[in-house]
Amino acid sequence: MRRLLALALTIGVVWFVVGGAGIVRPAPRVTALALGFSLIAAALTGALLERFHLPRVTGYLLFGMLCGPYVLNIITRPMARELQLINGLAVVLIAFIAGLEMNIERLRPRLRAMLQLGSISMLGLYAGLFAAFWIGWPWLGFDEAFTTIQKTAIVAILTAVVASYSPTVTIALIAESRASGPLSELTLAVVILADLILILAFTLVMQFVRYAFGGTGDVGLLVSLSWEIFGSFAFGATVGALFALYLRYVGREVAVALVAVCAIIAGLGSQLHIEPLLAALAAGLVVENIAPPRGDMLKQAVERGALPVLVVFFAAAGASLQLDALALIGWIAIVVSALRMALIWIFMRAGAAYARIAPPIGRMVWMGMVSQAGVTLGLTLIVAGEYPTWGTMVQTLVVSLIALHQLIGPVLFRAALARAGEIGRMDATSA
Amino acid sequence: MKVRFRTSGRTLGSLLRTRAALGLRPAMAPVMIFLPLGMVLGPAGTRIIGTDALAHLDVVISIVLATLGVFIGIAAGTQRSAGRLAAASTLEAAITVLVVGGATYLLLRSWGMPSLVPHALVALVLGLCASASAAAAVGEGDERTRRIAARVADLDDVMPIVVGGGVLASIAAGETPALAAAGLSIGLGAAIAVSGWLLFERAEGAERDVFVLGTLALLGGSAAYLDTSPLLAGLSAGMLWARAPGQTEHVVATHLRKVQHPLVVLLLVTAGASLQPTLAGIWLFAPYVVSRTAGKLIGGWAASRVTSGVAPSDLGAYLIPPGVIGIAFALNILQVAPDGAIPIVFAVSAGAVVSELLALIVTPGPPDPTPV
Repeated sequence: MRRLLALALTIGVVWFVVGGAGIVRPAPRVTALALGFSLIAAALTGALLERFHLPRVTGYLLFGMLCGPYVLNIITRPMARELQLINGLAVVLIAFIAGLEMNIERLRPRLRAMLQLGSISMLGLYAGLFAAFWIGWPWLGFDEAFTTIQKTAIVAILTAVVASYSPTVTIALIAESRASGPLSELTLAVVILADLILILAFTLVMQFVRYAFGGTGDVGLLVSLSWEIFGSFAFGATVGALFALYLRYVGREVAVALVAVCAIIAGLGSQLHIEPLLAALAAGLVVENIAPPRGDMLKQAVERGALPVLVVFFAAAGASLQLDALALIGWIAIVVSALRMALIWIFMRAGAAYARIAPPIGRMVWMGMVSQAGVTLGLTLIVAGEYPTWGTMVQTLVVSLIALHQLIGPVLFRAALARAGEIGRMDATSA
Repeated sequence: MKVRFRTSGRTLGSLLRTRAALGLRPAMAPVMIFLPLGMVLGPAGTRIIGTDALAHLDVVISIVLATLGVFIGIAAGTQRSAGRLAAASTLEAAITVLVVGGATYLLLRSWGMPSLVPHALVALVLGLCASASAAAAVGEGDERTRRIAARVADLDDVMPIVVGGGVLASIAAGETPALAAAGLSIGLGAAIAVSGWLLFERAEGAERDVFVLGTLALLGGSAAYLDTSPLLAGLSAGMLWARAPGQTEHVVATHLRKVQHPLVVLLLVTAGASLQPTLAGIWLFAPYVVSRTAGKLIGGWAASRVTSGVAPSDLGAYLIPPGVIGIAFALNILQVAPDGAIPIVFAVSAGAVVSELLALIVTPGPPDPTPV
């Protein structure tokens, strides 16, 4: 009751400030308000949904969606844009947490099975989606006339983007529900592997698209690809090693230092053209596997630092969900989403059977692969930016899919974690 | 329970006496380190903190201002039996405002200095910035005079923040009258504080962190959105928490203690980076330091007369160190009047550095330890 009252009061205050002022403020003026509102109200909505056995993340998303520009407009468009500023930091922090959770020694016995599952499921998903888009081309809404090679290129890029998973949501859900166990580890390993494959596939397919549409293609393709993958790991590992030294020899204000490290990776990452997610993952891996800190200081810092970032990140994602895109091509999006889920279900089960992963986990692992988020959106923005005519159509479809998968994915994955009995086991393991 | 409240109030008050809060030696006030550092890093120096970064820091500054307001609100709200001390502090602050404001106004008029902000408002703002003070940190074993000075330093920030709420609205030139804007800040602060009061006690761990951080951001953000004072909104919330039933004040105090060091550093570095040495700022700086010192000494003497037998006659000498509130208020003015407040920020910041140096000479040090 107290929480509901506090939520009502918070919404009332912000509604009064935003609506009562009757003026549109420039961006920096709205950021703190958006931040405070999201932190309190989204956290309360998440806690409320948890009572109904739904993920808190879904609560944060729903809050953003309801209060965002498309529904109640309490979080106005400038506010939603300003909240996006935290995205870079959030993705890095989330990936860093994922790295900390991946103990190579512990994963070694299952590494082969994980690779087999990941490879088979990704291959199946790519092939299935490519075939489906090729056959369903007339219904996808591309009005222009394309040559066969151009059509192949568009279908290939659409496949690469639609097949992507969301490491961010997976990691966030594991961190938020304090889950630990074979399902969490398997899902995490597969989404990270898929992310590596996605970067590789997207870069190669984009070169093919450029060739198909009369571009010259990038001569330094392999160099840039190598830099993006290996450079990210090298940069992240260096930062991780420095952070490990800090933890060992200074060990003060760890939460502040952690956020600073993430800000460095996020900030320098874009300037150095490296993939921040991979860099942060490498940093976390180094800290966990090479120089693990003594005691609980890092664990506590991560717990304290992660929640506010997750709350704002998902509230911002909810506020930015383009519901108008979903309304525009709703049926196509629903069909494609259903097809994607069916393919994930089929090939995950097939991969699990081949890799001899025990049935309860093997049957449920597909449920952690449905979510899509920032990485997918980022890739479509690249396509739409380079090819505004047909790229915009790809963007509209993918944005609609993200809206659907953002809502369905976390619910499914949490249900799987609950059925596997892994929720809350992170604390039990570390205790 | 009472002891605990008073302890947290005193600990928060120590933030305003920032030397101790940052664990620095008395000769190394943070103002003297981080203001010049900010200037070196800022657009006027190496440009490591560029104008874009400063624009982003502006967001954080609103939250920092609200947090400082909460610090002062709690520190003031917990000193329940300090009626005479509160009166003395207000008198001391008011005299400083009059001396600095009066001197500045006369000088501005006689110089005929062009200014984007009316002369009277510039004078009033400088007076308000000057009236905040930060006596040295005290412990249980310190002499009584120093403890009294520390409590006066805590309380003399209240009046400038309240008056400053109205002044800020006048400078912002919005549609809301100054008095209504100050009332709006207080009302918003109280409403958000009630929301916090409902949340803090029953939350735990990281969730409580989220609520405290969110509440502070909401305090700063809503005030910034309406061009009202985040300091006043924070003060209002802090005072309400200090007097609310339960342990809200204790919860907030515990959380704020963890962030006090980064907050002070961030504020000072941002202030340093925002400094632009203009002719007007340089002209205002010397009279500001001189009149502030005079105002503090006169105000301290007058306050000691009001609280005869409680405060010492040399109270003013203990109140020379300016702390961070004056700089915080100047930055707040800069947010609403980006061009007009440049000389004010320079005069107050440079004045703070010199006042800290002056305090090393003027302010009585702790008694020598008794020889064994």
